[in-house]
Amino acid sequence: MKTPGALLVVLLCWVLFPVRVDAYEYEGESLMLALSGHLESGAVYEFDQDTPNEDPSSELGIDFKADMGSVSSFKLLLRARDDGKVIDPGNTRLFNEFDRIYQDKNPFIDVEEAYVDFFTSYVDLRFGIQKFAWGRLDEINPTDNLNTEDLTQGGTNDESERKIGVPAAKANVYSDFVNLELAWIPKYVPYRLPTPEERWFPGILKAPEVIETATAAGNIPVTPVYEDIDLSGSGFKYSEYGIRLSRYIAGCDISLSYFRGYDMMPVTSAPTDVTVVLEDLLALDYSISAEVTYIPEIYKMNVYGLDFTTTVGSFTLRGEYAYFQNKHFNRKFSSVLKDELTQERQDAIMDEFLDRYLDTEDPQSSTTVRIDPQVALQEDSMKYGLGVDYIYGDTSVSVQFIQEYVPDFDNDKPVYFIKDGFDTLVTLSFKQFFLQNTFEANLDGAYDLEFKDYIIKPSVRYKFTETLQLTAGVIVLDGKEDDSLLGQYRDNDEVYAKLRCYF
Amino acid sequence: MKWNGTGLGFICLCIVMAAAPCMSADMTAYEIVKKSEDLLDQAKDSQTDILMTLVNKKGQTRERTLSASVKKYEDDSSKSLLFFNSPADVKGTSFLVWTDESKDDKQWLYLPALQRVRQISSSGKGESFMGTEFTFFDMGSQDIDDYTFTLLKEEDFDGEQCYVIEAIPKEVEFYNKITIWIRKGNFIPAKADFYDTKGEYLKQGLFANVKNIQGINTPTHIEMKNVQNSRTTILELSNIVYDTGLKDDIFTERYMKRGK
Repeated sequence: MKTPGALLVVLLCWVLFPVRVDAYEYEGESLMLALSGHLESGAVYEFDQDTPNEDPSSELGIDFKADMGSVSSFKLLLRARDDGKVIDPGNTRLFNEFDRIYQDKNPFIDVEEAYVDFFTSYVDLRFGIQKFAWGRLDEINPTDNLNTEDLTQGGTNDESERKIGVPAAKANVYSDFVNLELAWIPKYVPYRLPTPEERWFPGILKAPEVIETATAAGNIPVTPVYEDIDLSGSGFKYSEYGIRLSRYIAGCDISLSYFRGYDMMPVTSAPTDVTVVLEDLLALDYSISAEVTYIPEIYKMNVYGLDFTTTVGSFTLRGEYAYFQNKHFNRKFSSVLKDELTQERQDAIMDEFLDRYLDTEDPQSSTTVRIDPQVALQEDSMKYGLGVDYIYGDTSVSVQFIQEYVPDFDNDKPVYFIKDGFDTLVTLSFKQFFLQNTFEANLDGAYDLEFKDYIIKPSVRYKFTETLQLTAGVIVLDGKEDDSLLGQYRDNDEVYAKLRCYF
Repeated sequence: MKWNGTGLGFICLCIVMAAAPCMSADMTAYEIVKKSEDLLDQAKDSQTDILMTLVNKKGQTRERTLSASVKKYEDDSSKSLLFFNSPADVKGTSFLVWTDESKDDKQWLYLPALQRVRQISSSGKGESFMGTEFTFFDMGSQDIDDYTFTLLKEEDFDGEQCYVIEAIPKEVEFYNKITIWIRKGNFIPAKADFYDTKGEYLKQGLFANVKNIQGINTPTHIEMKNVQNSRTTILELSNIVYDTGLKDDIFTERYMKRGK
């Protein structure tokens, strides 16, 4: 829990910030400047009081755009935020940077986008920190792997908030036959996670308290250690690239894509130091403990994609397919460690320890052995989805079916988020506007058919004025298993409210 | 024949009709409208800035600013692109419509937060357009051959002599009847009364502040007052330019993303 100072900062922001601040705009003959932004304050009430608290958050967003005639433009999107939850006392950096997974957010400044565009007749070039948007589905896009995501809220917030802008170069080439998009990311930018003490720290990265060995050692206590990612060997080795071809054919927008780069989802190795302490030599009484070090790993993969959208009668149909070559999945830690710490392995460790103990003049009463199990499992997979939208005036409904399939799935090597080779998600999004679009009601949800876990997010938004709006909502998560995609956050139900002022 | 003018169908109809010179009083209602529509071909394309004011039944107002570009083709098809410039939460949103008489309209919506262009169905044409008192039908293309016109009478409106023309749709879909007051002096509509499918008075359109822009008389103040819910939408058109030779690639995903 932070000091009450956070609340004071939030209040001060609102007191010092005029209720209405006009955006700045300048329009000259060959130069247009526009500066706008927002101030937002938010608060969360956690249903489960045993989870770590979140303090009120505050955010200042700055959006600056300069158009230099019709040939070039510059855009800067900055976000300064005190998010009230992710604290890393050892972190002294103010800016979110592109080399770490665990970053302090009390406070921080994030350069979400900062790029320059050059426009020619047939080619648009963009250089700088930017976000890509491939694919046609909502929120979950199998073909969209260029930007990693900020998962400090468990992935429950909107895609636009999750996506991390990355330094990149992009070229769009336009022709009557096909439009081509080329993207190059010189250096991989990792995803972001909350620190282990936070509410939204992923359940699957929480080490089991004990490893049940079903051997004489009984349950082995486990201590976790979390290391940040090591990207010291940077350079072309870590670069990523992609190509996307798009065309409008007979009422259908269709795209083909290829991406070579890293998986945007976390994959972690777990080298484990097993320490044997001899308690009583004569009785051969010993104890075993384990220290698991979670180390983020990245693996390159190829993604071949296809996506489309069209209209059928009153409905919009959207589809997306991706084939992942050399994708890596995380095997379940508990099963991996259980396999590693068999009776035979323990006996071997003990025999080696006793031999050394008895042969040494100054024997140590303990020894540590490192076990480095292969946690990442390489498998090709495919992920595909179909979405249907219906819009009628102020009402819109969208339903999606998204499935991941691992053809060579081995049930003896269980991985997270896949069951019997499948993971199937059904999503719903409903929006209704009222009062000349000043009030909106939303219902978003997702249900996983394999794991029977779900998320439901009802929310309402009211615009008091054109520049002041209040959003309030509930996030409900549940699941039978505490290591499924949504079930790992089942203790994180919350009510939230956000007040945002635009200028 | 279809026309959606500045991307605001009925509004465009007014602009088109504004282009019509004084005609013989012996013309039938249909001939007046048809003649006006033919004169529309003078403007192959147009660009307009729009200040949209929404007034609720308590008189409270909200403003939005938009920019519209429209291009009409020889085969009567047309393309329109609408940018939302304010308020801040919708700034950068764009809406592209391709209209073709022989096919359903094609519509795309770009939401800057998602950075994705989405093709959307053109259904729900009778529903409100972005919370205004205009419907998607009002904003889309109109085919005057779908109506039967009758010259009811001549009367004064707002100090000007007007033809009062009744337009009855051959197939009642959104309106049972529209009654249009057209100024005799310059053939610019002054008022239109819309009746819902039950035949009850629904809303009133007012067309004022006529300006001559590049030889085309253009109403630049348009109001749509819904008498059933007591809400009004006011459009102030400015910076109107015709025939700038808009390129086809303006009406593509590329420009939807790039912005105004």
